[in-house]
Formats: sequence, C-alpha cells, structure tokens
Amino acid sequence: MIFELNEEQKFFQNRVRKIYEREVAPLVDEYERQETFPVPLFRKLGEEGLLCIRCPREYGGPGLDKVSECISTEELNRICAGIGAGIMVHGGLAADPILRFGSEELKRSYLMPAVRGEKIGAFGLTEPDAGSDAAGIRTVALREGGNYRINGLKTFISNGTICDFVTVSAYTDPAKRGAGINLFVVNREDPGFSVIKKLKKLGNHSCDTAELAFDDCCVPIERMLGEREGGGLEQLEETLKSGRITYGARSTGVGQAAFDTSLSYVKEVRRGGEPLKRSQAIRFVLAEMAMSIEVMRYTTYRGAWLFDRGLAKMKDASIVKLFCTESLQRIVQKAVEIQKEAGLVMENPVQRYLRDARLFKITEGTSEIQHLVIARDLGL
Amino acid sequence: MDFELSEEQKDIQKAAREFARGEFDPDLTLELDQNGGFPEAIWKKAARLGFIGTHYPEEFGGQGLSLLESALVIEAFCRGDSGIGSALSVVDLGAELILKFGSQEQMRRYLPPLVKGEKRLTVAFGESEDDKDLSHISTTAEKREKVYLIRGLKKFVLNATLANSFIIFCKKSVEGWLPLIVEKDQDTMEVHPIDKMGLRMIPSGDLYLKDVRVSHENRLGKKGEGIDLFQYFHQVMGLRSLAQALGVIGGAFDRAIKYSNQREQFGRKLSQFQVIQHKLADMEVGLEVARWLTYRAAAEFDKKEMDPKPLLVAQIEAGKRMTWAVDEALQIFGGYGYVAEQEIEHFYRDAWAIRSLLGTEEELRDLLSKKILGKG
Repeated sequence: MIFELNEEQKFFQNRVRKIYEREVAPLVDEYERQETFPVPLFRKLGEEGLLCIRCPREYGGPGLDKVSECISTEELNRICAGIGAGIMVHGGLAADPILRFGSEELKRSYLMPAVRGEKIGAFGLTEPDAGSDAAGIRTVALREGGNYRINGLKTFISNGTICDFVTVSAYTDPAKRGAGINLFVVNREDPGFSVIKKLKKLGNHSCDTAELAFDDCCVPIERMLGEREGGGLEQLEETLKSGRITYGARSTGVGQAAFDTSLSYVKEVRRGGEPLKRSQAIRFVLAEMAMSIEVMRYTTYRGAWLFDRGLAKMKDASIVKLFCTESLQRIVQKAVEIQKEAGLVMENPVQRYLRDARLFKITEGTSEIQHLVIARDLGL
Repeated sequence: MDFELSEEQKDIQKAAREFARGEFDPDLTLELDQNGGFPEAIWKKAARLGFIGTHYPEEFGGQGLSLLESALVIEAFCRGDSGIGSALSVVDLGAELILKFGSQEQMRRYLPPLVKGEKRLTVAFGESEDDKDLSHISTTAEKREKVYLIRGLKKFVLNATLANSFIIFCKKSVEGWLPLIVEKDQDTMEVHPIDKMGLRMIPSGDLYLKDVRVSHENRLGKKGEGIDLFQYFHQVMGLRSLAQALGVIGGAFDRAIKYSNQREQFGRKLSQFQVIQHKLADMEVGLEVARWLTYRAAAEFDKKEMDPKPLLVAQIEAGKRMTWAVDEALQIFGGYGYVAEQEIEHFYRDAWAIRSLLGTEEELRDLLSKKILGKG
C-alpha cells in the first residue's frame, strides 16, 4: 500500500492547480452573477488537454488515469463548482459513452472535437417524471428506415443551452422496461431538437442547466451507441460509476475551499473580546473539517484506484459519492454558520459553497439511491 | 401545566394562516426574492387587518396582547412563505425597546405609524463580527447643546434602505450606553446595500452616520439602562427569529408532505417509501420540539423577569431543527427542489439566513453554559 501520489500525478496536480487559478478563478464572479458558462474556457482547457482526461492519445486525449481525473476535478471544483459541473458533464457523462461504445466514425466526429473543446457535450437522461428512476424515462427512439425518430423531454441538463451535441437516453423498445434503452448522439442542428428553457437554480450558477425537447427529432442509425437495440442502461452503468467517483473529487474540492476560507476567517476574527481561534468549540469545528476532507480525499482516490484496475463495483462508487457528498454538507454548513451575517453576503464565496454543495446530494443519484445500491450489494 | 393555546390565541393563529393563504402568491414571491423587492401591498394589508404590533397596548394602536400572540402571527406568515413572512416580521424591529424603555411621548410618536403600516422601524446595533458584546461599539454620540452628533458605521442593518427610523446604539459616554432613536436623514446618513443569499426581501445594508443630529429627547431609556436595553434587544430578536424558524419548519413540512403524495418514482408515490415516511416523521418531531420550546420562551418573555435559559435552549434546538427540516424537504423534492420555481429553493436560503440571525451554536452554547455554571 502506498498512500502517496506518484511523481507524475504530483506534477500533474501542481500543473492543473496553476492553470485553474490562472484561467478559471478570474471568471468566477462574473459568470456566477450572469448565470452562464464561460464558453471560451472549453477551447482553452482543450488546448491544455484537460477536458477528457482519460481519453487515449489516439483520439487526442492525454490518456491519463481516473486518479488523475479526480486530481483535476478536485482542483477545478475548489475554484468553482458551477464551472466544474459544465466541464465534468462534457468530459465525463457526454463523452465517456462515445469513447466506450461509439463507432470509429462517432469518435472521430464527436469525441475528438470534444477533447479539443471545439464541440461541447451534454448528457440527456433525467426527465420531468424520471429522476431517481432512470428506467422510468419516456423518451422513445423509434426506427424508421435509416433513421431513429426521437420524441421526449429531458430536464436538468447541464450545458443544455450551450451544447453542440447531447448523448441522449431513449427507449428503442418501450415494452422492455430498463432493457429496451439505447443511447444516441443528437446534434444541436438536428431538426426537432430544441432548448425549451434555462433553469434558475439554488447554486452551480455558472453551469447552464436547461430543459430540452425532442420533437420528431430524426437521427441516422449510425448515431446510436452500440450496434444492437437495447442494453443502454448497462452502458450507462459504467458512465455513472465513473461519474459517482468524480463526485468524491468534486466534494473534496468544494470542502477544501470552504475549509480554507474558514481557517483564515477564524485566524483573523475576534469574538467576545477574544481571538476566535482561542474558542475550543471553534477549534473542534476546524479539526473536524480537516479530518473530513482528508477522509473524503482518500476515499475518492481509493475509488479511482479501484476503477483504474477494473475492480470498482457500483457499490464502491456509491460509497464514494454518498460519503463525500454527505460529509461535505456539514463542512459548508459550519463554514457559513461561523461567519454569521457575513457568511450570507453574495460577495463572500462561503455562501456559494453552501448553495453549490447542496446539489451534490441530489444529482447523479440521490443519497437515497446510493443507499439502495450499497444495500443491494450486501445481498439484501 | 397548560399545553393549549387559548381560544383567542387560536383565533389569531387561524386568521394569520388564512391571511397568508389568501394573500401570498408564489409568482410574486419568486419575483420579490430574485430581485430583492419588499412585499409592500401585503404589508399594508396586514397592517390594516391588525397583524402588526398585536402586542402593543391599545392606546398605541395595538391589541394589548403579549409577545406570544405576535410570535403566532410570525409563525403563520413564515409557514406561508419564508421570505414574505420574514419581511413582515421585521417591519417594527425594536418596537419592544420603545415599549419597555421609551417615554410616553416616544411611544405616541413612534408606535402608531408602525401599527398602521405607514412607517418602518429598525435597530442599528452591530459594527463587527463581535455583535453579541456591547464593548465592540465605537459609534459615538457627542453631546452638544440640544443635540447629539452621531458618528460611526453600523453593519448589517436590517431594512436599512426602507426604515423610516432607527434605534442606534452608541458608545458609552459619561451617560452610559446611549441608544438613540434617529429618523432617517438623507444628508447625514448613507446606506450601502448588501446583496445577500437569503431573506432577500429584507434589504440589509451598512449604515454610515456622518454627524447625524438628534435631539436630546430622542434618547431611549434612562441613564444606566443601556445594558438592560441591549440584553432585552437580543432577547426580542431571538424570539422573533425563533418564531420565523418555527414557521419555516412548518412551511417545509407542508410542502414535503404535499410533494411526497404527488410525485411517483418506481411506480409508487414517494410517501409510500419508508425512508421518506421517516423523514416526514422526523419533521413532525422537529416541528413539535421547536413549537413548544418557542412558545415557552415567548411565554417566559411575557413575564416580568425573564429567565434567559429557555430562550437559549430554544434558539440552539430550533435553529438546528429548521435547517435540517428544510434540507430534508429539499432532498425529497430532488432536482426540482434545487430549482427556483419550487418554493423550497428559497426556503433553503432563507433558513440559513434565519439561522445566522439566531446566532452560531457555539456562541449560544457559550451564553447558556455561563448561565448553567452561574457565571453570566
């Protein structure tokens, strides 16, 4: 057992930290306020090879491992979870299925431009009536000659308003619950595809989130991932497994940011005529934050390490997501609470950490779903 | 022991609930919350119907009831909506200080316009992070012939841009701590608005006081009463925030129950899942605990000499129960809970703002433990 990053990973960590501080940090306030994503960032991070970190070199990616992806995710989310969400969905949920299950042609026409940041990806699974119950989606893709005709509604879609393509889940056989699903790549220009509305959210403001409609949207059969009808849910499993481990890194990043802010606050402020850092209760709060972050980070790395070796089960990914996203809540809540009214001011990032972190217990499988996954793995 | 509200109290509670149900509108709430607007029309109507200052004596326009009845109104309003309810509950902030320490003339002058919904009063106290302690105040009131000249900076003043008058705590002089009632003056007072995460319908601001002139008659309380006044203010603020917290728990609970009975996943209503049922059960526990602690603290307050312990206990416990309940309600709503179209989204932000008004757990425990150990 070696509990240390290797030299290459340490070098990478140092490099991405600098890049995100230089390229992302100056954008945060403006784009959070506007509630839009800084689109030019895609090309910039594409040039740095940071969009699809696990994509092999033959398709233009750096071909790094999941641990490295988590390192990058933590550093980016320490700066901004909203921007982190857009980048994560693009490189993970949208691009991953194409990399794993797409044809050579799809990899060339979607994955490679995505790696460079020339095309922005989104991921369309959740629907108004199907959130936790993914098999309950109602979007259908019915075969008509050389095309599939897609009809349905998707919601809470990150990058929804800015995407060039969406990796969409739909039933090719609605009679087979769960089994009859397939994934399709839909172009922004495809007739019948439209963005209905942008959603106003509690947090992750710099991530564009929208509702998408597919109204007799015809795509050629070549845009289906995989060669046969059915089996889309199994394809999604791998993508979601990876995504849930990523949430460990996302949580660690936001937690670290909240901790850093809290530590400097506590060192500066006086309360009751005494320096706040002399308060034993406050020292315990900070100690607990530090402990949680350390455990979150290593739990994440372990999940990523298992994933890199092909050993990660869905249960392992669920443990990472559940533990880290729940631990994060206590950190950001205490971070806001100890600053009292000052913690509520929009100019103070600590309130953003609270609002951003709250999403993590919901998206990509709620905490309740993670409990179910873990319980099922216990043979219950 | 009597664990029931009186008939009169039940009537007030019912009237306030009906008012909230009839007048609060989710579309208006969304707009006011997003843009930081104040529910002017609802405030005027609430005042017309007697919901403001129910605890003032009848000669000043009130109904001569106790603070418990006021708390019932605040609770009902915040249950209707955390934003509108909170905004209505701070229009007469500090009125209790005038009631207890003010002269007849001050009461006659300042209280009736509050009851009628014509004017708003607020308190400008804190100047730094250390606002539970009087010693941090550095705003000065220099005594001249006929007037005081006030200089200083007050932070996080609630309703800073809307208030017509302010109770301003000034630094100790030979006369002791000086609370002064100051009417808004454009020339010598400047408000820097603060954009904040929650309670966005209550505009907060930093108040710059540049030689504000106030007549000697505007001194609130007698020499040597400053500390009592300060403690009394924190108790009243604590009680008002508690009533808000209690209302917010109820509001989150109502919405969680309704949504659990509507939303289906895996072919079942959410309310048919044990985990969801238990969340609702715990919300009921939270509501009951917060309710009786709050009512008890309010009843205690209405006695002459208040024991501060029940209030501190209630603040610590109800604060936690509130943010927990709103958090779980949001979780039940799932992705929808995260979107502004669902009211629970701003309940979440407002709950954390109310929590900050209640004070941190650590400082409340500091105060409570001092009482228990006989050191404070």
